[in-house]
Amino acid sequence: MAIAATRAPMRQESRARARRNALVGWSFILPNFIGFAVLTLVPMGAAFVVAFMEWDSYSPPEWVGFDNFERMLRDQSFWIALGNTAYYAAGHIPLTMLAALGLALLLNKRIRGLGFFRTTMFFPYITSLVAVAVVWNMLFNPTMGPINQFLEWIGVQDPPGWTTTSAWSMPAVIITSVWRDMGYYMVLYLAGLQAIPQEYYEAAHVDGANAWQRFWNITIPSLRPTTFFVLIMVTIASFKVFDLIVVMTDGGPGRSTLVLSQLIYREGIKENRFGYSSAISLVLFLIVLVFTVVQFRIQKRKED
Amino acid sequence: MKRTSVSAAAITAAIGLALTGCSGAPAQQEDEGPVTLSVSVWNMEQTPEFQALFDAFEKANPDITIEPVDILADDYSEKVTTMLAGGDKTDVLTMKNVTDYARYANRGQLLDVSDVVESLGADNLAGIEPFDLDGKYFSVPYRQDFWLLYYNKGLFDAAGVDYPDHITWDEYRSLAEKLTGETGGQKVYGTYQHYWRSVVQAIAAAQTGGDLLSGDYDFMEDQYKLALELQNGGYALDFGTAKTQQISYRTMFETGQAAMMPMGTWYISGIAAAIADGKSTVDWGVAPMPQIDSGDDTVTFGSPTAFAVNKNSEHEAAAKKFLEFAAGEEGAKAIAAIGVVPAFSSDDVTAAFTALPTDDLSVTTFNEPKDVVLEMPVSENSSDISTILDEEHELIMVGDSDIASGIATMDERVTRDVLE
Repeated sequence: MAIAATRAPMRQESRARARRNALVGWSFILPNFIGFAVLTLVPMGAAFVVAFMEWDSYSPPEWVGFDNFERMLRDQSFWIALGNTAYYAAGHIPLTMLAALGLALLLNKRIRGLGFFRTTMFFPYITSLVAVAVVWNMLFNPTMGPINQFLEWIGVQDPPGWTTTSAWSMPAVIITSVWRDMGYYMVLYLAGLQAIPQEYYEAAHVDGANAWQRFWNITIPSLRPTTFFVLIMVTIASFKVFDLIVVMTDGGPGRSTLVLSQLIYREGIKENRFGYSSAISLVLFLIVLVFTVVQFRIQKRKED
Repeated sequence: MKRTSVSAAAITAAIGLALTGCSGAPAQQEDEGPVTLSVSVWNMEQTPEFQALFDAFEKANPDITIEPVDILADDYSEKVTTMLAGGDKTDVLTMKNVTDYARYANRGQLLDVSDVVESLGADNLAGIEPFDLDGKYFSVPYRQDFWLLYYNKGLFDAAGVDYPDHITWDEYRSLAEKLTGETGGQKVYGTYQHYWRSVVQAIAAAQTGGDLLSGDYDFMEDQYKLALELQNGGYALDFGTAKTQQISYRTMFETGQAAMMPMGTWYISGIAAAIADGKSTVDWGVAPMPQIDSGDDTVTFGSPTAFAVNKNSEHEAAAKKFLEFAAGEEGAKAIAAIGVVPAFSSDDVTAAFTALPTDDLSVTTFNEPKDVVLEMPVSENSSDISTILDEEHELIMVGDSDIASGIATMDERVTRDVLE
């Protein structure tokens, strides 16, 4: 009885302290949270509502049900943009991961000038995107660019027209974006590689495993958490691609490099069709969500 | 206790900060005496006509001060749309194109300025027609650009051919062929056709009477044929290179890499300035745009630029005064003096236009009566159709579609996706 009586005020006091702590914590994140809420959370939430409306940002919005989604089904540009986004992702995701892993393996050795090479590889990522696009457009120039001059020199009869043709514009964009992104993911892989205990390799060496076996049975499995993280990040980045394409080809020639986020921008900001634009962005959101969830599921199954 | 009050204060401060960010400043009263008039403009530094107009206006009206609101040219339409939607009070708004004008006027964001048009006389203002919305004007054009043919006299003389005086497209093609060659190790193209779709499409529409909003684009066939012949023959820089390398048409002409170039009159002040600054030594002149048949009246295309008064403006009287000045004879003289083509025409204005070369052909080109067709007709579909025409234009010019199928796709897409 007496013990219970003394406990109650104590519990009250600790609860008060917990609340106070929470309040202090909230007040610390509040400035940042307000920015996030006003500029990200609210617009994101609003997109779910606006997608079912017709709204030009000026007149009062009008409820139109599933009209925007029906329009999407009939809109040829939407299907082309969806296909192009998938094309880009199918090229960009595996190539970036392979290039990043390859670079990380190369630069995980003790070689002279290691810091220099690592920095060099990271450089593209911090270079201004507009500069990257302009310079690569020059390199890709079908008649005067060094890439085609090189191809002709090694004996390619009819080198591709790159960004001046519908067939080769997307590969050109993919090559540029892989070059730009690989340095960043290389750093992530490097961190992963350095976390693998050296003893594993020593033990495998003693057991007579060759380099390939050591790579396949030690490096790859040990890197799984890193690979998973990189995969998620590259996938999301791939589906959202916007800036590089806008500067490099602006979706052209024709609609050969038009991607979903560009269509969202065009329909929303340029044509003032915020309802339709939100509907497309919802579809893009769902695609990214499904891919991410599936990747998490697969990863979980592998761990179990 | 102490800590609670600190955290409470932090929260209050943060919320307070957020709230003050949202509340607007108190409305200002109209001043009795001197007035400050705000005017939205783009790339003030590179667009000297604005400063010329403001200086002339302030000199004539010492009690009014102009405060420019400078906006990046590429973002201009979106920025002004957003400003108006947010109830911005900028007094005078520059209408960069007629499509935006129609949009703002139809939303009721602009003040009716029919009285200003009436006092200036609609007949004196070139390019006024598209601003007529059911007999009312919500904007007054102050400049009217149109397209003509720039040519490099030195390259013509060297090739021993006559200047392009009222030529046809056939003559233009054979001139381009003759003028293509090399001088001092530099390739010289007979002509340079910039990658904008209007270079092919708008001139075709103007001269054949075709309608860019119609969904029937057969009228473009001959112009496309010409454009492709020029680039495939090497008489003009190819579209793919021009577009992906973002070639500057100014560089092409000012460095003597092209002997001819169809371009708008806005470039007159640009090239005049380049020569005055010693950046270019090209001896240039202007001629009328080539026509389909010889003896045809000169038909070209162009677009007006105008001033409008914001409905939310708190200085209506002063704003209208500015419109009347800028679009009238005084404003016209001020901008003509720096080589910009004013909408208002009179002999005095022509005399003030000193940037123009003084040869007969250039003067005739400028003064002769001509039919200037609006570059892109105004409708709620203009923007959507423009996107489609741009995309298909690229495919034809890079050779991914042939002319017939490219035009068929334009017809089909415009009809199915926009008109129906």
